[in-house]
Amino acid sequence: MRNMRTPLVQPAAPTPAASVSEFIATFAIILAAIVGLLLFDTALARVDATGRKATAAREFDTGQRLVAQGRIEPGIEHLRAATTLDGENSAYGVALAQATLAEGRPDAAEQMLLPLLERDETDGAVNLAMARVLAKEGRIDQAKSSYHRAIYGRWPPGAEKTRTEARFELIDLLAKANARQELLAELLPIQDDSTNDGAQRKRIAHLFVVAGQPSRAVTIYREILRRDSRDADAYVGLAEAALSLGDFATARADLLAAQKLSPADSISLQSRMILTDSVIGLDPTQPGLSLNEQARRSRNLLQMTVSSARRCLAAQAPQVAAALDSATALVTSVGAVTAPSIVQNISLAEQIWGLRRSRCEAEREDGALALVHNRITQ
Amino acid sequence: MPAIKVRALPARLVRMVEDLRRKEDRLSLLLSLVIGALVGLVVVAFILLTGRLAALMFPTGAAGWRRIVIPVLGSLVTGYLLFKYFPLARGSGIPQTRAALFIHDGRISLRSVAGKFVTTCLALASGIPLGREGPAVYIGAGLASTIARRLGLSRAQVRSLVPVGGAAALSAAFNTPIAAVLFSLEEIVGDLHAPVLGSIVLASATAWLVLHLVLGDTPLFHVPGYHLVSPAELGAYVVLGIVGGLCSVAFVKLLLWLRARFAKLPTASLWIQPVVGGLTVGIFGYFFPQVLGVGYDQIERVLNGDVILKTVAILAVLKIISTSVAYASGNAGGVFGPTLFIGAMVGAAVGAVAHLIFPESTAGPGAYAVVGMGTAFAGVIRAPLTSVIMIFEVTRDYTIIVPLMIANLIAFYISQKLQKRPIYEALAQQDGLHLPTRAVPEPARLLLVSAATREAPQALNPEMTIAEAEERVKDSVLESWPVSDDLGLVGMVRTRHIAAAVKQGRLDMTITRLMQIAKRSASDTSVDMPHVHNDQPLSRALARMKDNGFKVLPVVSRANGRIMLGIVTFEDILEAYGVERVEQLDYTDHPDL
Repeated sequence: MRNMRTPLVQPAAPTPAASVSEFIATFAIILAAIVGLLLFDTALARVDATGRKATAAREFDTGQRLVAQGRIEPGIEHLRAATTLDGENSAYGVALAQATLAEGRPDAAEQMLLPLLERDETDGAVNLAMARVLAKEGRIDQAKSSYHRAIYGRWPPGAEKTRTEARFELIDLLAKANARQELLAELLPIQDDSTNDGAQRKRIAHLFVVAGQPSRAVTIYREILRRDSRDADAYVGLAEAALSLGDFATARADLLAAQKLSPADSISLQSRMILTDSVIGLDPTQPGLSLNEQARRSRNLLQMTVSSARRCLAAQAPQVAAALDSATALVTSVGAVTAPSIVQNISLAEQIWGLRRSRCEAEREDGALALVHNRITQ
Repeated sequence: MPAIKVRALPARLVRMVEDLRRKEDRLSLLLSLVIGALVGLVVVAFILLTGRLAALMFPTGAAGWRRIVIPVLGSLVTGYLLFKYFPLARGSGIPQTRAALFIHDGRISLRSVAGKFVTTCLALASGIPLGREGPAVYIGAGLASTIARRLGLSRAQVRSLVPVGGAAALSAAFNTPIAAVLFSLEEIVGDLHAPVLGSIVLASATAWLVLHLVLGDTPLFHVPGYHLVSPAELGAYVVLGIVGGLCSVAFVKLLLWLRARFAKLPTASLWIQPVVGGLTVGIFGYFFPQVLGVGYDQIERVLNGDVILKTVAILAVLKIISTSVAYASGNAGGVFGPTLFIGAMVGAAVGAVAHLIFPESTAGPGAYAVVGMGTAFAGVIRAPLTSVIMIFEVTRDYTIIVPLMIANLIAFYISQKLQKRPIYEALAQQDGLHLPTRAVPEPARLLLVSAATREAPQALNPEMTIAEAEERVKDSVLESWPVSDDLGLVGMVRTRHIAAAVKQGRLDMTITRLMQIAKRSASDTSVDMPHVHNDQPLSRALARMKDNGFKVLPVVSRANGRIMLGIVTFEDILEAYGVERVEQLDYTDHPDL
């Protein structure tokens, strides 16, 4: 077939032999063209880069605004455009990945962050974004590593607050994962970092309670109260720490103090008060109780512990649950109230609680019951 | 050309230039550097201008109607320019470059180069979904051709510089210096061992350096380091090879079919035909803006794992259709870039499905998009070696190379089976051109010396007298006779030399002495013992006969050159080629002959 639109055949003209002068002139023209083109290209590249960067910045701002308004999908389109126009700016890539994560596509977000990390694996912002993606995907160990790289990575000047935020995100992750030792390891370095920031001090103190170090929390709360004795939140925190320490009476006193300082928060304080009262009412080891009261409370504690344990153990091993019921019935049916029987009840409750904690780790613990057992263990 | 008087030039400079012109190797190296730099800069300007123009035509946040109107207007303007002023600038540029190389002694006019630059720039900026690499190759080859002709070089030198310019252009257009060298040899010249290799490498490297000087060290695509998650994942890549091969065939067949249909339309409609492509692209682009233009941004997104299965599948189909229509209708631009786009989308789609089914044992879709580009390239362009190196260079990712090679070979094999001719060859054939093909070797090349080897006659002894030798060779028609001692072959002696010695009455002279006399003759190199091996092509034997003037050559062992396995004669070679049979035709039945 002959396609006339593309006349590839053109007459071959004989090549004329050039003289030396023509040869030199041609070479001179070529070299001049090279120099001219180099200047032209360099200028054009600059104009192009400036134009692309300016457009990218506009796209980025629009994208961020839309994402902040909750319009994730159009926001992503603008962020994508920004990333395409200025791929060197990792802030655009991070924003796009975070928006993609918010859209519920952690896989894609991760893929977007990988090239940025390959370019600079010490970039704090990229590592923080990657940590969030990994945490969302439930890859906790990898997320922890990324958080660490974010905390100790490279941030632009003035981004200390973001670095601290990254640490607190890691701390929250560790608290959720109940990784107490690692949580404590993260808290200790920042214990004295923010002595002037009351809110952050209270947050740290609360996390010490979560990390199983309520005495450190008490120290911080007391220090806050020394500076401002009318800080109701500090009293609430102190009460939380006291409950963890098993000092229920002090906890109640602290909650009352908080209630006096901040009557507006009485509803939330009331629920805490109820918890504290129920703990106080449940604890058979409270000083000053009669033998009968101790016995009643010990039986009550045992029954509550068994019923809490049964909720998960019955599903796991029904025969164990049945045996527990039988044993408990036998112990609690003994009529005579004696000190050994009280100790026996408490001891059995403690053993069952231990069994429950080991077998039903993921189960949510009963607040009051857990606090009483905590105290007994102490 | 400005006239400069030779007399005004320093004598030393004139001598230097004349010396340079005489020494072709030096001139060739110098020109490779100059062409590499010039072509690199022109291609960088081409890329930047296309980008700026596209940014003006499609500003951010522009209304949707622009996506329909601008491709239509763009194809209308370029269609008219192509019809009226630059008819050679249509399409890709690679078949045109090959045509120039093999038909016109490498001649490409500067006008068609300028036309290619302008029309492709306009077409791509207005959203026509074609590639910039093919046109860049044509521009580079054309500049090299123009320079060579302006410098008054020989036709052979002009021809040799055309692939040099093409390689420099591809190196700058694609940021792939190694693949550019391979592509130029594999696709343009059609011979990986071409003697211009050195010049091509030099020009490619120079163009690449220029690109980096102006635009910095940025790969075409930023890709995270992908790797094979498990050996079982190779199965998914095999599937990708199959799908990629089939899609490549579909793309090539559709494009060729549409091109054939457009070719049947009246010639007067040539200027408006590209608008069909522009309108198709505009309609697709209205709903899917990613279809517009070269599409490297979209490829980058997909390579980085930003994949939605439905979207990439639709984009693959739309790109196949829009590129085929745009190219077939006569717009300016190549199929190189669209091939990568289609491959990336197909790869991402296959990868997304694989990852959905086997999330634990497969990489993300981005890895498959990388391999998909290679499969499409191997299937459409049919340059498997170039495709592997090219993907490696554009992504700078070595870890995915094994799956890439496997999938590429599968796609290449499927494409070869279902679409006999590679795309550039088929396009040239549609234009009535029969360019050399690297896929089918000449049958004569397959003939080896072993096909013509015959048993050697009893060799002469070096101590034998002329009288004894004459007695042995007198009834033979052999032009030369082997001479052997106890250790084996020592050389060949010509029977006419023996006859001459007899005529001069030197019957007692030994064969050794006769060979020594022959050695002194400057024109006789029989002492170098020309020979061939059984596994060499017959063409080599012919060349050796031409070089030495012998019509008989000993066939010797490769393990020991003094062990003679037989001889090969000029007549035997002719017979092996079938010439003898023609001569022996019986003419008795054809008295009119």
